[in-house]
Amino acid sequence: MTTATSEPVLTRTVGLRDSHTLEVYRKHDGYEALRIALSKSPDEVIDMVKRSGLRGRGGAGFPTGTKWGFVPKAADKQKYMCVNADESEPGAFKDRLICQKDPHQLLEGTLIGSYAIGASRAYIYIRGEFAAEAEILSRAIEEARAAGLVGRNILGSGFDCEITMYVGAGAYICGEETGMIESLEGKRGWPRLKPPFPAIKGLFGCPTVVNNVETLACVPHIVRRGWEWFAGIGPERNTGPKLYGMSGHVVKPGVYEAPMGTPLRVLIEEYGGGVPGGRPVKAVIPGGASCPVLRGEEIDIPMDFDSLTRAGSLFGTGTPVVMDDTVCMVRAAWITARFFTHESCGQCTPCREGTGWLQRLLWKIETGEGTERDLGILLSVTDNIEGNTICALGDAAAWPARGFVKKFKDEFLQHIREKRCPLEGGSLH
Amino acid sequence: MATVKIKVDGREVTVEKGLNLVEAGKKAGVFMPQFCYHPGLPVVGVCRICLCEIEGRPKLVAGCATGAEEGMSVITRSAAVREARAAVMEFLLIHHPLDCPMCDKGGECTLQDYTIAMGAAHTRFAFRKNTWPQEDVGGKLILDKNRCILCMRCVNLCADVAGKDEIAVLSRGEETYIGTVGGRMIENELAGNIADICPVGALTSKDFRFEARPWELTNVKSVCTLCSKGCNTIVGFHPRRNKVLRVTARENMDVNQWWICDRGRGQFHNVHDVVRIVEPLRRVNGAGRTASWTDAITEIASGIRETIARHGPDSVGVIASAELTNEEQFLTGRIFRDGLGLSNLDFPARPQPPVVYPKFTIEGDKNPNTRGARLLAGTSGRGGRSVADIIAAAAEGRIRTLLFLRGGPPEEFGDPTVVGRALDRAATVIVVDYATSPMTERAHWVLPGVSSFEKDGTFINSQGRVQRSRKVFTLRGDTREEWRILQDLGAALGVLPETDPSAELIFDRIARTVPAFAGLSYTALGDLGAPLPSASANVAVG
Repeated sequence: MTTATSEPVLTRTVGLRDSHTLEVYRKHDGYEALRIALSKSPDEVIDMVKRSGLRGRGGAGFPTGTKWGFVPKAADKQKYMCVNADESEPGAFKDRLICQKDPHQLLEGTLIGSYAIGASRAYIYIRGEFAAEAEILSRAIEEARAAGLVGRNILGSGFDCEITMYVGAGAYICGEETGMIESLEGKRGWPRLKPPFPAIKGLFGCPTVVNNVETLACVPHIVRRGWEWFAGIGPERNTGPKLYGMSGHVVKPGVYEAPMGTPLRVLIEEYGGGVPGGRPVKAVIPGGASCPVLRGEEIDIPMDFDSLTRAGSLFGTGTPVVMDDTVCMVRAAWITARFFTHESCGQCTPCREGTGWLQRLLWKIETGEGTERDLGILLSVTDNIEGNTICALGDAAAWPARGFVKKFKDEFLQHIREKRCPLEGGSLH
Repeated sequence: MATVKIKVDGREVTVEKGLNLVEAGKKAGVFMPQFCYHPGLPVVGVCRICLCEIEGRPKLVAGCATGAEEGMSVITRSAAVREARAAVMEFLLIHHPLDCPMCDKGGECTLQDYTIAMGAAHTRFAFRKNTWPQEDVGGKLILDKNRCILCMRCVNLCADVAGKDEIAVLSRGEETYIGTVGGRMIENELAGNIADICPVGALTSKDFRFEARPWELTNVKSVCTLCSKGCNTIVGFHPRRNKVLRVTARENMDVNQWWICDRGRGQFHNVHDVVRIVEPLRRVNGAGRTASWTDAITEIASGIRETIARHGPDSVGVIASAELTNEEQFLTGRIFRDGLGLSNLDFPARPQPPVVYPKFTIEGDKNPNTRGARLLAGTSGRGGRSVADIIAAAAEGRIRTLLFLRGGPPEEFGDPTVVGRALDRAATVIVVDYATSPMTERAHWVLPGVSSFEKDGTFINSQGRVQRSRKVFTLRGDTREEWRILQDLGAALGVLPETDPSAELIFDRIARTVPAFAGLSYTALGDLGAPLPSASANVAVG
C-alpha cells in the first residue's frame, strides 16, 4: 500500500508563488509532455494512456484511453474535446484547485488529449460559480496562445488546436456530459438519449470526448514519465495519483494529493488531521453527495473505484465528507435530497417527481411526523427512480437516500418512534 | 430499407431496421403505452412510460428511443416492466389535480386511460400538491400546468412542425413548467394541434372549453373544405344541440399527416355563427317573400328556358363554385355546359398566399375542389368564358339571367362596382348559398343550400386525391344539398334525364362515365380517399 509519503504529482507546484503562470509551469517541465506527444502518433498517445490505466476522475471511472479510442479515426470530420470543469457536486472541490493554481497543467492535458483524438477545437466548460477560476483559466489560455501553445501550428508540429472557455450558468446537470454538450450548443442543458454516445455524435453532431479536469491533468505526467510509472502508483486497475477533497468534520479540510487506493482512515486521520475534539467518525460520504454513505466503522477501505463499489458505495470524485456523532443522518439525507430535487433537470418523470417526494418524506421523518410506512415508501421511491431515467442524476438521487436508510436505519426508526429528531441542536441544525 | 426480425413478448415480427420499439411493438400487436412519443414529433424519451426490457440487457430501455435490431427480444410482460410503468404512473399523478370531472380532456385523456389500465387506486403521496394558475398562452389554448406531465409534445410541435419557438420548457426539477416566453403568445396557425396531441388536459382548446364532454359527441370522419389541401378531419357533432362543437385532425399520411391548421379547426364557426338561409326566397321590387321549393325550381327553370329561347344561350350566365363537391360539379357541367350548351360558365378562383411551415403548408388555393370543378364543370378549351367576362357581359346588359352557385362578398367575383352593375342590370339573379351575404341580399331568388357539414360528397385536393366529406347533421329548416337543387333544376329544365338519390350514386355514375375517374368507386374511397388515376388527371387539369 502506498502511503502518505509519496511525492506530489498533480499538486507539485501549487504551493509556489504564481503557480498559475506559464513561467512557473515551464520551470517545472511544463509543456514538455506536449512536445513529446506531438512527436508521437495520436494512436501512440492513446495507447500510452490506455496502458497507464488512467480512469476518469469525474466519478464514473471509465478508462480514459478507451474513451479516446472510441472516436472514429476519419480525418475529414470535425472532432471536439470538451473539458468538464463544471464541478458542482456537494463535497467535490478538487478540480477547482487545478483551475486556480495550475491551469496550464489542465491546458497541456487538454492539448494532448485533443491531439490524440484529432480535435482541432477544445472547449472548457467551467462552473458559473467559479468566477475567479474562470478568470485565471482564461488568462492562462491567452498566455499559452501568445507562446504558440494554443492555436495554429502548435510548437511547429502542424497541429492546430483552439481552446475556448465557456462559463456555465449554475446547473449541476450541465456536468453530465451530454447535458454539457447541449449547454455548449446554447440549448437547455438536458442530457441526451444514448446511444448515440458523444464519441460518435457529440457537440454539434460531431465526435466528441468529454473529460474531467483532473483526468486531463494526469495526462501530461503519463506522457512525460511513461505509462509504466503511472501504472505503478496505486492498486491494480485503479492507478495513478489522486486529489482528495476532504471536508466536513476534519481538523484540516482541503485538497490533498495521495495515490489511488489510500485508505480512507489515512486520509481522515493523517491528511485531515482527524475529527475536531477527537469525536468519533459517525459517517463518511466517500466521493460526493451521490455516493452512498459509509459508517464510521467502514473507513478502513482503500479509496479507489473498485474497493468502494465492492463496499456497496462509490468512489465518485474521491472527495470524502466526514461527519461526526453530532450529525443527524436523517437531516444529512434530507439535505442531499434537497440538492438533487433542486438540480433535477425536470426531463424524466421518475427523477423530476421522485426527488421532490424523497425530500418531502425525509423532512417528514426528520421533523418527527414520519411513520414506518413512510420509510417503506421512501425505499420504494428510490427503487422507482433508479435505472429508469435518461441520465445518472436519477440514480445519483436514489443511491444516497437509500444508503442513509440502509446504514442508519436505527436512527430513522428512532425519529419515527420518538416523533422528533434525537440529535436536535446537532451540527446540521 | 433493411428489415430485421424481432420478438415482442414472444411474438415474432419483421420490421424496418432501427424502427423504434413503440412502433415495432404495435406491429406485433403488443400494447405500448406512450405519453411523450408521437410518431410525428422528434423522440424525446422523457416520460418513461414505454420502458421495456430487452433480453440480455441489464437496464430497462425507453421503447421509443430504442431501435429494432436483428434478433432482439423485447419483453413488456415482466414484473420489472410492470413495476417501472406503474412507478411512472404514480410519479405522474402525485401532483396531478385529478380533476377529471371538470377537465375538457376527461374521457379522451391518455393519463386517465392509463390510470384505469395500470395505475394504483390509492395515492401514497400524502403531501400538498404543487399548484399553478391557469394561463392564456395564445393559439386559442388555455394552459393548465397542474395537469401537465411535461411530455414536451406542445413544445416540439411548435418547434418542429411549425418552426416556432413560441412555447418552451422553463425552470427545472419539479418546478419545471411549460410556458410562453416574455409574455409572447403562441401565434402559429398550427397551435390547435396541441390540444389534439396533449395527452392530458393541460393545453385545451378555448373553443371547446366546457362545451361538452367528449363522449357526448358523434365523431364523423370528414375532410376540411377551407383550402385545396383537403386535410382529413374528425367533426365532433353534438346531436342534442344539433351543433358541430369542434373539428380535430385525423391522420392521413398522404395528405395532412397528423395535423390541421387552426382555420380548419374553426371551420364550424362559418356554419353556426353566420345568418343562415333556411327557406327559398323570392324578391320582387326589393321585397323578399318565402317561396316553396317546387315554385322556386319551376319558375327559375322556366325563366331560364324563356331567356334562352328569346335571347339565345349567351344571355344566361352561371357562376359555379369550386367550393362544391364533385357530384355537384358533375351536375353543373351536365346541366349548364352539356344540357343548355352555355359558354358563360366558370367559377371564381380564390387565391391567397400560402402559409408555409417547415412540416405543414396551408395551401394558397382557398377553393377545396378546383381540380374537381375543372375536370367536371370546366369549359376551358370549349369556348367557355371566364368569370370576369361573364360579369362584364352582365354589366353591359348582354346577360339577362345570372345564376350564382355560391354567394359571398362581391369582391370574390371581381371589381365590386362591376359586379354591382351586373347585379343591377341582370333581369334575374339567382344565388344558391347557405349564409346571407351582399350577394343574397340583391338576388331575385335565393335558394338555401348547405355547408359541407350538411351533405355527403367528394372533393379532389391539390394533389389529385379524391376524398369523401361526410354529412354530419341537418339544419332545422328547409335547406337542400346543392346536388339535390341541381338535380331538381336539371330535371325541370328538361336536360337531366337521370337523377340519383344520393351523392354515392352520383359519384359512381361519374366513375362510370368520366374517364378521369375510371376505376374509382365511392365505397372504395374509404376514409382516406384515393388518387385520381394519374394520367387522365394530369391531362385534364393541365
